[in-house]
Amino acid sequence: MFEQFTKEARGVVVDAQTVARSLHTRTIDTRHLVVALCESDGGTARAALEAVGVSPAALAGAVRADLASTGLDADALAAVGIDLEEVRRTTDATFGAGALEGVAGRGRGARKHIPFTPDAKKTLELSLREAIRLGSKGINSGHLLLGILRSRTPATPVVEEALRTAGVDAPALRTAAEQQSRPA
Amino acid sequence: MANDQTLVASAASDDPRKGLRAVRALRELADRLETLQVERARSLGWSWQEIADVLGVSKQAVHKKFGRRI
Repeated sequence: MFEQFTKEARGVVVDAQTVARSLHTRTIDTRHLVVALCESDGGTARAALEAVGVSPAALAGAVRADLASTGLDADALAAVGIDLEEVRRTTDATFGAGALEGVAGRGRGARKHIPFTPDAKKTLELSLREAIRLGSKGINSGHLLLGILRSRTPATPVVEEALRTAGVDAPALRTAAEQQSRPA
Repeated sequence: MANDQTLVASAASDDPRKGLRAVRALRELADRLETLQVERARSLGWSWQEIADVLGVSKQAVHKKFGRRI
């Protein structure tokens, strides 16, 4: 499938891995693809987002914040009686300030290869289908965006929130992405 | 943080989503603490065997997991 990706879309997939590495996440899910898509230089997807009034930078920021919060789940730990703040106080004292955060990615997740989650793979497959449906020769970032919009993934709530803020709905963004992705 | 009320409610909760999320969070926290402790033990001169004994795993297992980095 990867050979059908345009240079632009290939860049997004590669950048998604960079995003995962910088945020110390163990896997690459659809959220990483959204960040990479929004932070790329130009591109079909960015043009579609801007066309409907969604700021790619703001969306990338929101998704990054969402990714950062999923590492240590304070609420889930509190539910089983563990006070993350208390744990952090002791690790700060023993290992230095911020040790608990800094250690992420040095553990088992420090592998060179960061795997894609099933939802990210599904998104890539769906973008291939979008490209075929639209009669395109290759998959560009606009098709990736269409793939992202097509199924429910960890990225969906953040994307929906960004669309709400911009006052548009998913069909409008889909139409914009289709227009931008159509072969000239 | 969690008051007694929410703790009791969560402990009594039979919602798998809550339970699974807690397991995942515990695993993440345990992994991080393990890395910090193993790193520190090594810097204090502990052998892989000593670390493995306390962790209750084989020397090979702990070396495989941390040997390359520490």
